[in-house]
Amino acid sequence: MAGPAPARARSSFARRHHLFWYFRHAVLLAWSGFVLFPIFWMVLTSFKDAAEWVTWPPHWIPHDPTLHNYRQIFTFSQLGQDLTRQATEQVFNIWGALMDSLLICTVSSFVSLLLGTFLAYSVSRFGVGGKNFRYLILTIRMVPPIVVAIPILMYYAIMIPHTTEVLTGVRVSFYDTYSGLGLLYVATTLPFVIWMMLSFIDEVPYTLEHAARMMGAGRIHTLRRVVVPLVASGMVVTFLFIFILNWSEFLLALTLTHPNVTTLPVLLNKFQSAVEGRLYGPQAAIGTVITIPVVVLGILIQKHLVKGFSFGMIRK
Amino acid sequence: MAEAQAPPAGRARTEAPAGAGWARRLSAWLGQERVFRLIPFILVEGTFLLLLAIPFVLTVYISLLKWRANRPFEQAYFEGLGNYVDVLTDPEFWWALGRTFYFAGVAVVLELLLGFFLAMLLYREFRGRRLYITIFLIPMMVVPVVVGYNFSMIYIDSGPLNEILAPLVRLVGGDPRIRWLSHPIAAQWAIILADVWQWTSLTFLIFLSGFSALPQPLISAARLMGASRWQIFWRVQLPLLKPVIVIAVVIRSMEALKIFDQSVLLTFGGPGNSTQTVAFYLWRQVWQFNKFSFGAAASVLLLLIFSVLIYFGIYLLVRERAMLHKEGA
Repeated sequence: MAGPAPARARSSFARRHHLFWYFRHAVLLAWSGFVLFPIFWMVLTSFKDAAEWVTWPPHWIPHDPTLHNYRQIFTFSQLGQDLTRQATEQVFNIWGALMDSLLICTVSSFVSLLLGTFLAYSVSRFGVGGKNFRYLILTIRMVPPIVVAIPILMYYAIMIPHTTEVLTGVRVSFYDTYSGLGLLYVATTLPFVIWMMLSFIDEVPYTLEHAARMMGAGRIHTLRRVVVPLVASGMVVTFLFIFILNWSEFLLALTLTHPNVTTLPVLLNKFQSAVEGRLYGPQAAIGTVITIPVVVLGILIQKHLVKGFSFGMIRK
Repeated sequence: MAEAQAPPAGRARTEAPAGAGWARRLSAWLGQERVFRLIPFILVEGTFLLLLAIPFVLTVYISLLKWRANRPFEQAYFEGLGNYVDVLTDPEFWWALGRTFYFAGVAVVLELLLGFFLAMLLYREFRGRRLYITIFLIPMMVVPVVVGYNFSMIYIDSGPLNEILAPLVRLVGGDPRIRWLSHPIAAQWAIILADVWQWTSLTFLIFLSGFSALPQPLISAARLMGASRWQIFWRVQLPLLKPVIVIAVVIRSMEALKIFDQSVLLTFGGPGNSTQTVAFYLWRQVWQFNKFSFGAAASVLLLLIFSVLIYFGIYLLVRERAMLHKEGA
């Protein structure tokens, strides 16, 4: 603000003493503390040994920091003779769940991205599906997953095996398979892909494509050489975003897979329900391993997230 | 659309001349506008039809049977609307539904207020702004299961929350090692707090983008005409932010009504059934008590209830957008 303010105005007292500055930073710091504390506590616990998981008063800094929890979850041996300790006899590793999660999330995000981008393009350019298609597609995202999970359970576990047995004589079940869960992830993330890609593709001026077509480029060629390079960054952002969504998905993974396929959230939950002998340390280590890469990815795409969430409702 | 002006026969002219005949024919076929309009639409709608619509029809059928998983499916017999009556007369179903709306309502209101307030403090440029924004957006990216685990660590009787509150509790003369998750009301608030921790970041993000997109000239004009800060906020900024607020409300309410992860991880529905949400209740009925046809009927009913809400939400979004277009913004 230019010029010296009149000395007696109330606002000038506040301004002279930077009251607003203090207020703002106090609030923001408090919220930052609130946001960071649970993560800080998890990372801390992951470095504590069994004796320190539950003590009163709790240790704010591990007195005896150890990598034991990480060694335990990353061990390759089935029994891990060198790793047993009193509180955690059962040795478990996350390799199986990690591979399952990575495989399902990567493949289904990729398929969903391809299908969704393609459809978003034809919706944006040709108005496929009608004027309000972009909202209709949202309805699928709004249905609660439990309402999807129950029909899918019966579909995967009864209808498909029965039908295939009658038709071909072989029982094919999608329950507890990669493809079963992956297909469902494709279906549940497609609305997001279509939405986010619509907001990116809408911004590519049609005149560019028109020019390319005038100069004789075919439709596929135009798409590959004009449109895709312009929305490539948008595609990357969308991919990362739905990857994060699939990576954190819990309900469908819990309900539609039991013994064979295990994703990381389901693995983490497995040790949660035990009342006695909960493995706080290894759980914290798993939590840290799941969280850190995703948070890093998220921070990388942070700038673009706003766009995907604006639904074209933000005035420019 | 504008497609009508495009050259009609452009496809075959320049498609890569090299390559086998079938490849050229394939790309020529793919290049037709008709194919372009139809293929992705059919693929996507086909996925939805196969994975969501057919199972749902099957569910409606199963909901009319009497079937629990202790018998093979072939022995299930037709029962009519009995399951629906069972669901509708089950007090636990209504209780769980009520809990869900209560959690979602409280959590969403808190998230909207906090997110709006934080975005208001952060939308103007100052030193440290970017760092704050980065920190505030972190919870959105944390896996919900991990959030549940983190908060269960914090709430345990010898956890940091009790350590922080200990001086206060000792002052009153109580035992500082409170079991937060064993008390019905505290457990409910524990779940709400975990939800607020995670999703205030989303409302914050939506409001921040809304605030940054406000047309500055309009606000300076109002200031020049002598409007006070308060007037600018209520008369200029808030009306301009209305579409953004609608988005935040619709998206957040829809997501909040799905709440499941935290009741599994933090409280497992307990103590008693005080934190049972509708998703948790159905999960228990189907996956633990194997009441399949009951679960099918309940999910049909739930879908009916939710489709009313979804219709209303989408209606709000479409209306806001139509208004934006009419104003020519």
